[in-house]
Amino acid sequence: MQKILVANRGEIALRIMRTIRNMGIRTVAVFSEADRNAPHVLFADEAVCLGPAPSSDSYLNGDKIITFAKELNVDGIHPGYGFLSENAVFAQKVTDAGIKFIGPPPSAMRIMGSKLAAKECVKQYNIPMVPGLDEAIEDIKLAKKVAGEIGYPVLIKASAGGGGKGMRVVEKEADLEEQMQRAVSEAISAFGDGAVFIEKYVSSPRHIEIQVLADEFGNTVHLFERECSIQRRHQKVVEESPSVILTPAIREKMGAAAVMVAKACNYSSTGTVEFLMDDKLNFYFLEMNTRLQVEHPVTEMITGLDLVEEQIKIARGEPLSFKQEDLSINGHALELRVYAEDPFNDFLPSIGKLEKYVIPSGEGIRVDDGYTEGMDIPIYYDPMIAKLVAYGKDRNQALQRMRSAISHYIIEGVSTTLPFGAFVMEHPAFVSGNFDTHFVKSYFAAAHLKEAQEKKARMAALAVLRYYLDEQEKLKPVDNRSTSWKRRLS
Amino acid sequence: MEKNSKQYQVKVNDFVFSFTQNEVMHADIVKQSPNDFHILQNNSAAHVHIMDADLSRRAFKAVVEGEIFFAEIKNELDLLIDSMGYTDAASTKLTSIKAPMPGLVLEISVKPGQEVSAGDKLLILEAMKMENSILIQDSAVIKSVAVKPGQAVEKGQLLVELE
Repeated sequence: MQKILVANRGEIALRIMRTIRNMGIRTVAVFSEADRNAPHVLFADEAVCLGPAPSSDSYLNGDKIITFAKELNVDGIHPGYGFLSENAVFAQKVTDAGIKFIGPPPSAMRIMGSKLAAKECVKQYNIPMVPGLDEAIEDIKLAKKVAGEIGYPVLIKASAGGGGKGMRVVEKEADLEEQMQRAVSEAISAFGDGAVFIEKYVSSPRHIEIQVLADEFGNTVHLFERECSIQRRHQKVVEESPSVILTPAIREKMGAAAVMVAKACNYSSTGTVEFLMDDKLNFYFLEMNTRLQVEHPVTEMITGLDLVEEQIKIARGEPLSFKQEDLSINGHALELRVYAEDPFNDFLPSIGKLEKYVIPSGEGIRVDDGYTEGMDIPIYYDPMIAKLVAYGKDRNQALQRMRSAISHYIIEGVSTTLPFGAFVMEHPAFVSGNFDTHFVKSYFAAAHLKEAQEKKARMAALAVLRYYLDEQEKLKPVDNRSTSWKRRLS
Repeated sequence: MEKNSKQYQVKVNDFVFSFTQNEVMHADIVKQSPNDFHILQNNSAAHVHIMDADLSRRAFKAVVEGEIFFAEIKNELDLLIDSMGYTDAASTKLTSIKAPMPGLVLEISVKPGQEVSAGDKLLILEAMKMENSILIQDSAVIKSVAVKPGQAVEKGQLLVELE
């Protein structure tokens, strides 16, 4: 491959292009009219404008991207995550255009892209699954009957879903109808497919996923787990690897199950098999994400692999250069997603200009970002500013480095999840490892952040007063009794 | 309180603190440079950096452990003027609901004249592909609805007026 187009924006486009360039391959960026100044455009060897800011007119316009790719003699297209990354139709069109799609085969994307088809596909492999109805449901009466049989609380999920969109927890029958309508309408707007299904809502669940890597010759390995239980609105904010609660035996069992899921759909490239784990360490297959995940850096930190490089090698038709027994976990890594959101106000999006933007650095600290000082956070796209990753020889060191990095990350102009990250990294439940996906609901209230903020504000008050009084002192005449001063002043 | 110690009030973001000059001068503050302070308070330590200072308005910008704060100092004269009530009395009654974020109005659940009570849904706003129900915090009567379904709104834009 001589030239690769990255069909994405922001931090992930930049992160992918860095690896491409390191491999001696030319990079092509695509961008919308809102992103002309974005770092991913400034970084690339070549760049093409796709159209107006809304995603549907730009980053989601697969046909336009393929047309440009052909004009520019591109050999491969990397979709990143989000946008077209899990769109099997796009992957097929890329392939049909004679360009290599850097990702899994379209057939695997089609199966895993539908949660229902995915369940069907892995059924014969004895992989444990959450109780529920394995088919799309529309009729509210039937939904009520099914939910009653499984027992409340139940979870309504969009079949085409991901990232918490189109997903609703229903505590009691009275709420089912309204929540189902919301889920269907969210699913239609986000995925163009309103099919939803119902399953048992596992209480005290942990979200643990296994990274898999497969070449085109059927060699499949797993790169251990990522613990992603710290979520808000069903979306991950903090991830880590390894998980504190997995024993080597369970890790091996989950790894083997994940490899089986990948093999079941003839997978190649990077993929993630998500599991739900209950408080007794039983795990259930949730879904497979057929893309590079946002949180892939924690896996890179503990394995020493560059997952984008592996994807490109696999796409070039090379076999994996290692086997499962060659892989081991080295150290501990944590990731905090820095979103332009207000944790003091229910994590609502916070849009604005990055008046000040200074990233932390230091041993074991990695920042994947796609913004620079003075840039606006556009309302059209995902509000993630950066991924802050901290690596250490053990979890304590990684935690300490993360805390220090958060306190050196300066962002002015928008609210971010940084204060929330500081809260998590200090919280006894997180520090001890005894937490589940209800962490935010159970422990977090804006009042906690407010308390921590008030302490800092008090320090700020003292400092500015001291500064002010010192300045006042300077303005005073050196000696009030000096007659010469008086004379001169008068 | 000592006789010659002046009273100051510092507003930092939403917080208000009161100090006397003596309290500040006797607090455990080490000046590391004209703009950098190390403070110990009840054994908690913090580095504070003054980024901006507008001495005439007594307005400052300070960074404490990575977090940026806006501070305003009021002296005894300012406080006296405040206490005499020359500043606007904050109106406590909510008269309008504004968009808490930019987004797209998906659905409106109320109409003019309707009585609503705390927790009722006014409308649904979609931002970054998430649907957010905008609820009312207190009971009220809807005066008018300023937006239509499908309309894009900016942060702070008027959505609903209340009686």
